[in-house]
Amino acid sequence: MTTIDAAAVAEADAIEGLSEQPKSFGRLAWERFIHHRLALVGLIGLMLIVASFIIGPMINDHPFDKPDVLNRLQGPSKEHWFGTDEIGRDLFVRTARGGRYSILIGLLSAVVSTAVGTLIGAAAGYFGKMVDAVIAQVINLVLVVPGLIVLSVFALNFGSNWWRLSLVLAALSWVRIARVARGVVLSIKEQDYVMAARAAGASHSRILFRHILPNVVGAVTVEITLLVGSIIVLESTLSFLGLGVRPPDTSLGRLVADAKGNIDNDPLRVLTPGLVIVLIVLCVNFLGDGLRDALDPKARSNRDD
Amino acid sequence: MTEPLLRVEHLAVGFPSKAGVVQAVTDVSFDVMPGETLAVVGESGSGKSVTALTVMRLHPKATRISGSIMFQGRDLLALGDDDMRAIRGNDVAMIFQDPMTALNPVFSVGSQIVESIRIHQQVTKQAAWERAVDLLALVGVPEPKRRAAQYPHEYSGGMRQRAMIAMAIANEPKLLIADEPTTALDVTVQAQVMEVLHEVQQATGSAMMLITHDLGLVAGTADRVQVMYASRLVETGGVDDIFYRSRNPYTRALLDSIPDLHATTDRLEPIPGNPPSLLRPPSGCPFRPRCQMAIDTCATAVPELVMVGEGHASRCHRTADITLNAEVTS
Repeated sequence: MTTIDAAAVAEADAIEGLSEQPKSFGRLAWERFIHHRLALVGLIGLMLIVASFIIGPMINDHPFDKPDVLNRLQGPSKEHWFGTDEIGRDLFVRTARGGRYSILIGLLSAVVSTAVGTLIGAAAGYFGKMVDAVIAQVINLVLVVPGLIVLSVFALNFGSNWWRLSLVLAALSWVRIARVARGVVLSIKEQDYVMAARAAGASHSRILFRHILPNVVGAVTVEITLLVGSIIVLESTLSFLGLGVRPPDTSLGRLVADAKGNIDNDPLRVLTPGLVIVLIVLCVNFLGDGLRDALDPKARSNRDD
Repeated sequence: MTEPLLRVEHLAVGFPSKAGVVQAVTDVSFDVMPGETLAVVGESGSGKSVTALTVMRLHPKATRISGSIMFQGRDLLALGDDDMRAIRGNDVAMIFQDPMTALNPVFSVGSQIVESIRIHQQVTKQAAWERAVDLLALVGVPEPKRRAAQYPHEYSGGMRQRAMIAMAIANEPKLLIADEPTTALDVTVQAQVMEVLHEVQQATGSAMMLITHDLGLVAGTADRVQVMYASRLVETGGVDDIFYRSRNPYTRALLDSIPDLHATTDRLEPIPGNPPSLLRPPSGCPFRPRCQMAIDTCATAVPELVMVGEGHASRCHRTADITLNAEVTS
């Protein structure tokens, strides 16, 4: 047996500058992430947007739902940053409120559909055969259901507070995550290290949760961010059609819808909430791009720059 | 005489396919004694890896298997999944061919060794980690403390295979199955890895089944050798029986195709032709189309595996004609 003199190793480490603690996977991922310029832009942008949605209305203090007929249809000013609508409500406060709902709905349904989709998709890919066949059929079924119709029926019958809306959106979107997870698991379960884990006596759940799922995270993360984006857009669409958040409450989509009649005289009113939607979705997608690179287990531990 | 650790009897493994059943292993019987090294040699597709995987019960699900695999008196083919899991990695461990892909890229090497320990032993993470570092030292990974925390991509090929060996011996298995452990490695590293395997075997006293197509590897490490061809055992014997007293034309052809530094000729002697299809094997002896000694009988009947000496058996109709140092031509 080779014995290693601990003192000698410590000395050699000190000389080579290797005595520092080895970095964990999370730490390495974080380092890769903060070196990813676009991802950082996305993260900071998103944080700024959220912060302005929360702090902005405190500074520019107007009620979101109280008409003020004396100040209707004003342009942007010191008093009303984004102007006012046709019954004189402050548009900045309304945009902030709507934006908060959009982001909340996007996040909640992304979290729910990721959890459900990853588990179901991974199970389908891992166990194969009957399990896979059944799940694949369910996925296909959900995929062919016209989402907008389901959502409108649901919204009409159950009202539409934000978390109910999120759950319905999740019920329609988990299949996207499930398909990605299933595909990745199908390829990963053929990897030698899965066979090696079986040879070491690992159980199905250990192999699935410890060896396969961590390798799925990268691919799923990207899908999640795309999903957050499309859910925010979908929610805006619903609200635009009058099926999402109910007045006097508002969301970004509803703000666009409210302003659309007046687009010739006041294009800015349509543009601002629309631009906010685009900015949020863009930031989330940048973030996802960076996360994918950071979570890639095969990426180099140190960057050249 | 001691009881064999592993006794495989009349093992047959077939893979059903659309075109018919591919018979990967046909009527294979052998023993592995405690502590010994048995080399299983053969070309690609001869059934050697399938035999090894079947012992671990890691074969694909839709496989037709008959025969028995007795390990310490228990028939592995009859065990439930949970009982089999308790044996895998604990009593029987496996080293895979390609260390580049057999380690999970997401976890540090140390934590993968810790995992294989903690699947079978109730020890704290701390204790298992210390054991993992000791194991890495045992297989000759320099600076094991630091290297244990590193990820597989930070290891070279040879180091990864050492780490694989460390994982395999973590629970001191009684039988190690090494499936072409050096095939994916640099020639210069191959010898080192074989050396490590040998030392590890000395340290743990485990038996080893060494699956390889490299006869050169076998000479230095194996106690006994069995040669497989087209799903069957064709010759089995002590390492000297095979290398110096082979009584089988296929084994002899294999030996002739090894590069020899002291050879007088410039050219290697390859075996003409390709191994036969396992879906539709040729009539009679499967080696007949490539055999220089083939006679009429070879086309009609598959030869039996007959004893030709103490612990030495060969499967050939013309075993009697192949004598010591005889020229193998008809």
